Amino acid sequence: MGKILVVDDSAFARMRTAKLLADNGFEVEEAANGAEAVRKYQQVRPTLVLMDITMPVMDGLQALREIKRQDASARVVMCSALGQKSVVLEAIKAGAVDFLVKPLQPQRLLDVVRKHGHAS
Amino acid sequence: MDATIINPFVKAAVRILGQELGQIPEKEALQLQDTYYTTEDVTVMIGVTGSVEGTMLVGMTESTARNIAASMLGCKLVLFDEMAESALAELGNMIAGSASAELEKAGYQCRISPPSLIVGRGTIISTSRMRRLVIPFRVPGGRIRISVALRRAKEANQEGSRCSGTP
Repeated sequence: MGKILVVDDSAFARMRTAKLLADNGFEVEEAANGAEAVRKYQQVRPTLVLMDITMPVMDGLQALREIKRQDASARVVMCSALGQKSVVLEAIKAGAVDFLVKPLQPQRLLDVVRKHGHAS
Repeated sequence: MDATIINPFVKAAVRILGQELGQIPEKEALQLQDTYYTTEDVTVMIGVTGSVEGTMLVGMTESTARNIAASMLGCKLVLFDEMAESALAELGNMIAGSASAELEKAGYQCRISPPSLIVGRGTIISTSRMRRLVIPFRVPGGRIRISVALRRAKEANQEGSRCSGTP
């Protein structure tokens, strides 16, 4: 099972996602904004990042670009309440491997994490 | 405010409240207000920027807030703590995010700010002289009122230029 970095400024959203992943055997790390995610990515080298978009300090799209600049092979799935096509396209263009719209559906989240979050 | 701006918020609220609380909310009669906004016991505030701009506020009593947070957290709430506050802020974030996707379909590109939570009744908030449409919903555990004060950005620019003359 892979190590998943869950990035969200909402403690509630982090807890809900982290619990679901931990209950399904994944190792979980957490970050509360994009800047913390970039730092934590370097420290823990997760197999997959689940990244919110609207966050203070550094938003998720900026953090995605920074992580991809540091590690082109990084796998990042955006998880956002913002479901606009323009935002999804911007994220995919910046290197996100997938996009999930909140509220997250548990089975869909697990399917995506299993697809992209396996250790290589 | 016309229906193309308001309907996305109604649609988003029905969808998100239904998913999070397990029951389709019942929409009550809309109200139009043009006074300052006075916060309820718990209020989530989210800014909207882009081709429409303004504010969305989600207000409720403490009792409703506790019931909604308990439902989202999946447990009986003993304390109205930071996690409960975070759950309510995320509820507002999901409603505004879903509404922004609906607004895009109607031709409006916009972004939302991270949610702010105001705990305590009676704080006065100016919605920049914009009329507010209040959408009340009956949900399991109480009532919530979603207030939307939005205008097209070009209307805001016109108003700004009217005020930018020689002092």
